[in-house]
Amino acid sequence: MSQKSSRIRNVFEPLDSSLVTRRWQERFGISEQVFSGCIFFRKARSIWAISDVDLPALSYEAVGMRIMNCKDRPWKPTTSALQIFGRYATKNIIHLNQEESMIFLEGGSQVIESDCEIGYVVVFYRGDVLGCGLYSHGKLVSQIPKERRMASTIKGAECEA
Amino acid sequence: MDCLDRYREIVPDYVGFRAIQSLPLYNSARINTLKIEREKLLERLEEEGVLFRSFEWYPLGLKLDIESPGKLLENLLGFIHIQEELSMVPPLVLDPLPGECVLDLCASPGSKTTQISQMMENQGLVIANEPSLARVAPLRSNCERLGVLNVAVTRYDGRNFPRGPFDRVLVDAPCSSEGRERRGPGVLSRCSRERSLDLGVLQISLLKNALRLTKPGGTVVYSTCTYAPEENELVVQKVLEDAEDLRLEKVSIAGLQECPGITEWNGKRLNDALSCTARYYPHINDTGGFYVAKIIKN
Repeated sequence: MSQKSSRIRNVFEPLDSSLVTRRWQERFGISEQVFSGCIFFRKARSIWAISDVDLPALSYEAVGMRIMNCKDRPWKPTTSALQIFGRYATKNIIHLNQEESMIFLEGGSQVIESDCEIGYVVVFYRGDVLGCGLYSHGKLVSQIPKERRMASTIKGAECEA
Repeated sequence: MDCLDRYREIVPDYVGFRAIQSLPLYNSARINTLKIEREKLLERLEEEGVLFRSFEWYPLGLKLDIESPGKLLENLLGFIHIQEELSMVPPLVLDPLPGECVLDLCASPGSKTTQISQMMENQGLVIANEPSLARVAPLRSNCERLGVLNVAVTRYDGRNFPRGPFDRVLVDAPCSSEGRERRGPGVLSRCSRERSLDLGVLQISLLKNALRLTKPGGTVVYSTCTYAPEENELVVQKVLEDAEDLRLEKVSIAGLQECPGITEWNGKRLNDALSCTARYYPHINDTGGFYVAKIIKN
């Protein structure tokens, strides 16, 4: 199961944990200890995390949680992963107020003032991680997956196809 | 609703049983302790003015007096999972422990899978098996929303799931779903003794394979949301007949009233031990309907 074959055959290939934790440390300042109970796998362009166990030899459809998408640069954290690990972030964080968080949860874009670096950010509301946002040139674009968005209010109707 | 008529002799207070079928079931949800503590969640709901009541038999179960609980922010964030009350019983009977290796043979949409995961505190391993590709999507989506990290998904035909061994296996079998009438009226129009007999063949194969995959000393829980003995006691009786190393353990949840599994059907005597299995009727606890058996492999 070399890296090459995993991409071709679409199988889960074990991944050295430092390759994963380094990226979360760099972007969000999340300590590698946060991931200490997990092992990691790569399948195609996604990285998955699962509790640290010996996996029986089976053919898997999913192995734990898909935590990163490395299809494009920069890599993108999933909203599911941020909701678990994002609360340990020390940088590239945006806190929203109630009105802003509604727009975010509906999948919308909005102007937000922040000193975050350009790229993916952890979005909070009242201490809870809402999910992943893309921050660029003063604009925050929600990356919440469609099936996990709030139904649009009348004003935010543009957000939902 | 004629398909229920044949249960006249086995259901206590049959008139009450018929009468409640047309009453819709309230909404209910499970608190997901992988993401939030119970007290914090209750505080949030109170703050938002959501009316709720905890189950008497399970502190993590809530009856919600709200029309669309799926739209609650708490649901979108995975703090709660919309789940029918009795659907929370089989994982409690299975009683998995952190660090164990557990198989959920018929897993989608993952309500019980994720409850098992939460009982195991995200440690150990749950294999969630679901043969249908279309049904894998909601299973995965629920696992991800609820912050589950100890579940791996497979897509085998449960009758041929290849290898174990597992400490515990849940067989929440495909069934005629007669117990879901209060949730989705019309279910009963598709039910018949013949359909139940057909499903019974599948259910026996699933349960036999589950027992094969279980470690000695391990536990298998078999559950359905139906009343048909052909899908319940007769399935369990068949696997007991064909193996010598099995015994039934009494299914009982404090605060929830069960009726004993039947030991006679259509004039035929069944294995007496089947009275250890549990039938849950809608008019007794104001719920849906369920059947649960707990089998120990010696």
